Amino acid sequence: MGERDGIPISLEELNKLKEIAERARRKVIRMLFYDQTIHVGSSLSSIEILTTLFYRYVKDGKDPINRDWFILSKGHAAPALYAIMSERGLVSDDDLWKIQDISGMLQGHPETFIPGVDMSTGSLGQGLSFGIGVAQGIKMRGGSGRVYVVMGDGEQDEGQVWEAMTHAVARKLDNLIAFIEINGFQLDDSTGSVKPKEFLPDVWRSVGWKVLNCDGHDFISLISTIDEAIKAKAPVVIFANTVRGKGFPVIENTKKQRSSPDDARKYLLNA
Amino acid sequence: MMQGNIYSMRDTFGKLLVEMGEKLKDIVVITADVGDSSRASYFKEKFPDRYFNVGISEQDMIDFAAGLSATGFKPVVVDFAMFLMRAWEQIRNAVARMNLDVKFVVTHSGYSDSGDGSSHQCLEDISLMRVLPNMKVIIPADPADIRRSFPVIMEELRGPLYYRVGREYSPSITDGLEYDFKLGKAYVLKEGDDVAIMGAGVVLWDALRAAEELEKKGISASVINLLSIKPIDEQTIEYYARKTGRIVTIEEHSIYGGIGSAVSEVVVKRYPVPMRFVGATGFGRSARSQRDLLDFYGINYKSIISSVMELLK
Repeated sequence: MGERDGIPISLEELNKLKEIAERARRKVIRMLFYDQTIHVGSSLSSIEILTTLFYRYVKDGKDPINRDWFILSKGHAAPALYAIMSERGLVSDDDLWKIQDISGMLQGHPETFIPGVDMSTGSLGQGLSFGIGVAQGIKMRGGSGRVYVVMGDGEQDEGQVWEAMTHAVARKLDNLIAFIEINGFQLDDSTGSVKPKEFLPDVWRSVGWKVLNCDGHDFISLISTIDEAIKAKAPVVIFANTVRGKGFPVIENTKKQRSSPDDARKYLLNA
Repeated sequence: MMQGNIYSMRDTFGKLLVEMGEKLKDIVVITADVGDSSRASYFKEKFPDRYFNVGISEQDMIDFAAGLSATGFKPVVVDFAMFLMRAWEQIRNAVARMNLDVKFVVTHSGYSDSGDGSSHQCLEDISLMRVLPNMKVIIPADPADIRRSFPVIMEELRGPLYYRVGREYSPSITDGLEYDFKLGKAYVLKEGDDVAIMGAGVVLWDALRAAEELEKKGISASVINLLSIKPIDEQTIEYYARKTGRIVTIEEHSIYGGIGSAVSEVVVKRYPVPMRFVGATGFGRSARSQRDLLDFYGINYKSIISSVMELLK
């Protein structure tokens, strides 16, 4: 593993990541059998980012300052997080099928009482501020932990993101890496038709962030970008181009969050 | 005994915060650009590395504090009461929901920012805070009450807590009284048999003044400093409901959802008695002093007396 001759990843590891992501993708789609209200589209756009982070970067541990933190600020992508957590053995497949069920552990949005969840989210725009607090706490204690925050593009409408963006720069937090997933849709419509978003990289760069771009579904692109982010001496934001509903043709690249169990069944049988 | 300004509420808090900072090294202080006005800046002078002005960004401040708490610090968020309410949802969804050890200390509560008018006066916060799961709500009556309660809060109580401090106006109410602060415990400032006057904060001065005036009419009143609004002292409230048969509450806050409401929730459950509520029913306006506003809106001893007379009819 690691960077060798310009190749950031071995074929073996690449195949492993692809397999994990594919299983996680199928699990998210299978969750549709059990609950038709989960956010499938937003979850599928996050699968490769979460796979890459958890299988290559996020350092586990009990010590809050010498481990890494992961904050799913776009909390509605919880099914993707849970699917990856099941791959990591933190929750069982049975838990997955009970998502949002009154008897289940897995809530519609992440809660810290679920093993492996670092922040209770679900209300947009708050994850980055929490991440700044954690990153600052780690620095004050001289810890080695890093903080990864994943946000959505629609989430950028929240004023708190601006508050946090300038705050991270003021604190010089080079142990903070934020992702903004550009999947092009928010709840009601395409992101551009609600509020312009194309200026965002310029804004983040202008206030002092190191801005990187990657293909959020391509492991090699993700890995080389995160490797670069880790070396930076400033807070880094990675604009990750993704596709809402990636890999699930009936909703792919639309504002649709979900489809019917029949569609899910067809996909799982044919894929 | 009932007159005089020994220290202002915010000055007392600011000095005590420094003392606590010396004792507890995990305390960090966070404010949204109101460090000087709230006296949080006293802490900055002594501990610049543990002091954060996040700028005029209350929402970011709350989640930032939550993150620091998650790494083992004890954040004290200091802000004007009204502007902290701007981040109520962040307080709910991050701090209260994750039950994090973040203390919220607000100055300029009630009418205490008298000159700045309704935008800066906070008459809704008790209601908004006590409704939150995991949140505790404490309202000291005067500087002596701050010195009694704040160290206990920082040293012994974990989890989210809302601590409501005013500004300058601080008539002596509990000076010379000997009691220790205990979460969920009310304190009797005066014993009486005919009516119980209950409240918290600087308006307890009016409760004591009303009791003095009533005494002259041959009516004896108990005066209770509720101090801990959540959890609230149900036993003491029930005891005085039974003993006196009537209750008047006073608060520098809306009567909708505030202290009167909290007391009535206990009374209807444990021993229903007639009640009257003295407090705000609308927005404030500007004035040259907090006292002028309290009098203008009838949140004073005169209203307590007329409420008592009404209950005794």
